[in-house]
Amino acid sequence: MSLLTVCEWLQNMPWASGVKHSAWQFPVVESVHSLALSVMLWPAAILDLRLLGLVMRRRPVSQVASQFLPWTWTGFVVMVSSGVILFWSEAVKCYNSPFFRVKVILLAIAGVNALLFHTTVFRNVDAWDQDAATPWRAKLAGGFSLAVWIGVVAMGRALAYA
Amino acid sequence: MLSESFLPFFEWCGNTWLGTTVRDTVWAFPVIETFHLLALAVLLGTVLIVNLRVFGLGARDAAGPQTARELEPWMLVSLAVLILSGIPMFLSEPMKCYESVSFPIKIGLLLMAIVWHFTIQRKWRGKLTAGFSILLWAGIGIAGKGIPYV
Repeated sequence: MSLLTVCEWLQNMPWASGVKHSAWQFPVVESVHSLALSVMLWPAAILDLRLLGLVMRRRPVSQVASQFLPWTWTGFVVMVSSGVILFWSEAVKCYNSPFFRVKVILLAIAGVNALLFHTTVFRNVDAWDQDAATPWRAKLAGGFSLAVWIGVVAMGRALAYA
Repeated sequence: MLSESFLPFFEWCGNTWLGTTVRDTVWAFPVIETFHLLALAVLLGTVLIVNLRVFGLGARDAAGPQTARELEPWMLVSLAVLILSGIPMFLSEPMKCYESVSFPIKIGLLLMAIVWHFTIQRKWRGKLTAGFSILLWAGIGIAGKGIPYV
């Protein structure tokens, strides 16, 4: 069974084609997916900007992380659930779109970047928590994360029109 | 929904240089929309972070009022980006907006939200005003998403 066959099978499930062909279901899920960016992406970006020394310079990095990462995780759950529904209902279109592939790769890169950050430089946050200028590896992780997430959003938009 | 007296204005918008350029450039719309969406995330995110605090949600530490002060400039910059990216998108398809119910609702809510933000919201921050702020700004986003559909 090829990946394309799997996509066709997913998309042809009655509930999935119901979402796609309903007058309101797809737009509603898409709205949820877009609006939840504000819950996931901006709080994550605030931490990235703090690592770059561009916001909340006088606040400990660990405090900014503990205030905003729960938002990001909450938003992430909403993004993934609504994203899965959107994908499911037009899986063949996604399969055929290069933008969707790039989006998935970028998501994986964002995940690896966050994982590396939390398992390495963030472990020693006590040593640089109060510093306005964080270590270069923290800055790199923050800047990289911002760039990758902007790419994810751009690929999502490109996917909608291609 | 819009009165026919608006029609000549919308037609004129579609023939502006910016409108035709965005319409005739394949990648222009999604690229502009990406910035529009990123700015919406910043604005709506800030509105949620600042206002949900009033309900005791989302603030685990004592950083409360300071957060609002620190994020205010980002909110204003994102509002400017939203308007500046919204104009070329509108100019590229004014007839779609003219026929849509969502578009006039969105513009109405936007004007209300801007007035609200610089007047009442500045003075009082209770549960009622916080809840209303969230509804207003989220409503603008939802109405915007609705333009291609209704």
